[in-house]
Amino acid sequence: MKVIKIAHVSTKAILKHKLRTFLIVLAIVVGIATLTVIVSLTQGANKLIMKRIQNFGPDAIMVKSGGGKMRGPSTVDSANLTKKDISDIENIEGVKFVSPFQIELDMPVKYGNKFTASWVMGVEPDWKDAWRRGASRGEFIAYSDNEQLSKVCVIGQTVVKELFGEIDSIGENILIENVSFKVIGILEKRGQAPAGSDFDNLILIPFTTASRRLMNQSLYTSMLRVVIYNPTEAKHIASEIREILRRNHHLAPTVEDDFNIRTAEQVTKMVKSTSKTLGVFLWLIAIISPIVGGIVLMNIMLMAVSERKREIGLRRAMGAKKKHIIFQFLTESVILTFSGGIFGVGAGVIIAILISLLGKPISISWQPFAIAFLFSTFIGLFFGVYPARKAANLDPAKALSQA
Amino acid sequence: MIEAKDITKSFESGTLKTNVLKGITFKISKGEFVAIMGSSGSGKTTLMNVLGCMMKASSGSYVLDGVDIETLNDDQLSEIRNKKIGFVFQAFNLLDGTSALDNVLLPLVYADNYPADAQKKAEQLLEAVGLDDRIHYKPSELSGGQHQRVAIARALINDPAIILADEPTGNLDSESSKELMNILKRLHSQGKTIILITHDINIARYAERIVYLRDGKIDNEEVAK
Repeated sequence: MKVIKIAHVSTKAILKHKLRTFLIVLAIVVGIATLTVIVSLTQGANKLIMKRIQNFGPDAIMVKSGGGKMRGPSTVDSANLTKKDISDIENIEGVKFVSPFQIELDMPVKYGNKFTASWVMGVEPDWKDAWRRGASRGEFIAYSDNEQLSKVCVIGQTVVKELFGEIDSIGENILIENVSFKVIGILEKRGQAPAGSDFDNLILIPFTTASRRLMNQSLYTSMLRVVIYNPTEAKHIASEIREILRRNHHLAPTVEDDFNIRTAEQVTKMVKSTSKTLGVFLWLIAIISPIVGGIVLMNIMLMAVSERKREIGLRRAMGAKKKHIIFQFLTESVILTFSGGIFGVGAGVIIAILISLLGKPISISWQPFAIAFLFSTFIGLFFGVYPARKAANLDPAKALSQA
Repeated sequence: MIEAKDITKSFESGTLKTNVLKGITFKISKGEFVAIMGSSGSGKTTLMNVLGCMMKASSGSYVLDGVDIETLNDDQLSEIRNKKIGFVFQAFNLLDGTSALDNVLLPLVYADNYPADAQKKAEQLLEAVGLDDRIHYKPSELSGGQHQRVAIARALINDPAIILADEPTGNLDSESSKELMNILKRLHSQGKTIILITHDINIARYAERIVYLRDGKIDNEEVAK
């Protein structure tokens, strides 16, 4: 009862001192909006990373031809993986199967008078299981297609969009580097690869057709996707693959690998390390700006306390205890910061949506709301305590005699 | 009702110590109307602060309505002020932007129990001081004399043991002063204990008894006619 009455005193004071209220709320709004924007951006980025890792597949190990630290796939030009490499890897314990594929980036593709450039992959039928991704419509590449060097293809959604638009693409013929391929299926949508490339701008053709007809590389394979039974063994199996390949490729101990092995774990690390530095910096800003708002609050509340000494003295004379005065001023602070928090989250969400319109990934979940409300309340309490205590500790007689 | 024995009060600022009250002893019984007279610097404001439990004496004992004030802590002093003392100040000290009614109800915000009929009681008190048509007026819409009448109604809302009026007419014209003193006189006739602090002998003469304060000591006492 008493609590409600004093809280009522606080709200009246907030409504009465409009400029002061506006300044404090504005300071908190800026701080909390910054926090909200950064939280939704960071979460958006993390979600994207997680999706990319999901796309990579936790039970897969990628083996690329060629050494160095190049990101992205290696093309047939650098292919150096042999049939023996593949069968040796298949014999490692824990390996389910190996799906080899050839890849050529940005090959010219044509349908009618429309052109585009896509990645072209020569794949075995087990590519479907290795990537857990088949044809959403039509057929996938079959064993017979590989045996017969068929000129058929399964195309990704981006290719469909670029070449066919609304037209039904299945059964049509497209030209890949002037070789005609019949579209037999459309790939399931996947989104972006860990490296950031479009996984849907892709054309799959039979492995043999790619090697012998299109890419002229019948001896070596450019990439392998090794599927294992147990994701926790990935690291161990990856090191076995490395040993086998070094042995098969007759590499002297001082020579660097002429291949590249990646596990989901490594991909995670790779992507996270780049976002980490930025993340720390952003979080710093996210936390500092509401604190600056809190300092503004403290300043203005201190001014309010010295302006309202007489009122405080009067309340004390009328029987207010120190705790009542503390409660009154603390409630004022918290109401101010909390409403700043509400408006701040609103402003932050709007800004985040505007940013997302520019193409940045954002994620708006309950967390920014929870963080903003907790944080703004905390700031009201933390930075409000000192002014409130100062008010309560005024000498009643002296405060009342203030001119 | 009030028993002050050898009360002293000194203030220290740095190394300088000022003795304001130098041993004050007096008694005020229930239902009395006493004026404490003194020129400025005589210590009457400090004495009022001590009697009003706004500060504690440096030494001596002060018993108010059976409670030894010198043994109380800050919270207990607040409770005493809330329950037993009704203040009337020279500067009125109403909350601006707050209606006369809510100003009268102010002490009840801090009372342990808020009577159900508080609002009605506040209206009756305002009526008793002749402000029944000004209940919802804000201080900025009231005259000085009306301010002080609201303050008296506020002082009475908690049924205090004493009413402590510190230069209540100091900011009023003679007409309003007269009206105000008549209200105090009427309250006294209704059995209230009133302590009036003033430098004006004409105001002091409304009391039954005048205590003269000079240089922190009681100089003289006189029973008014």
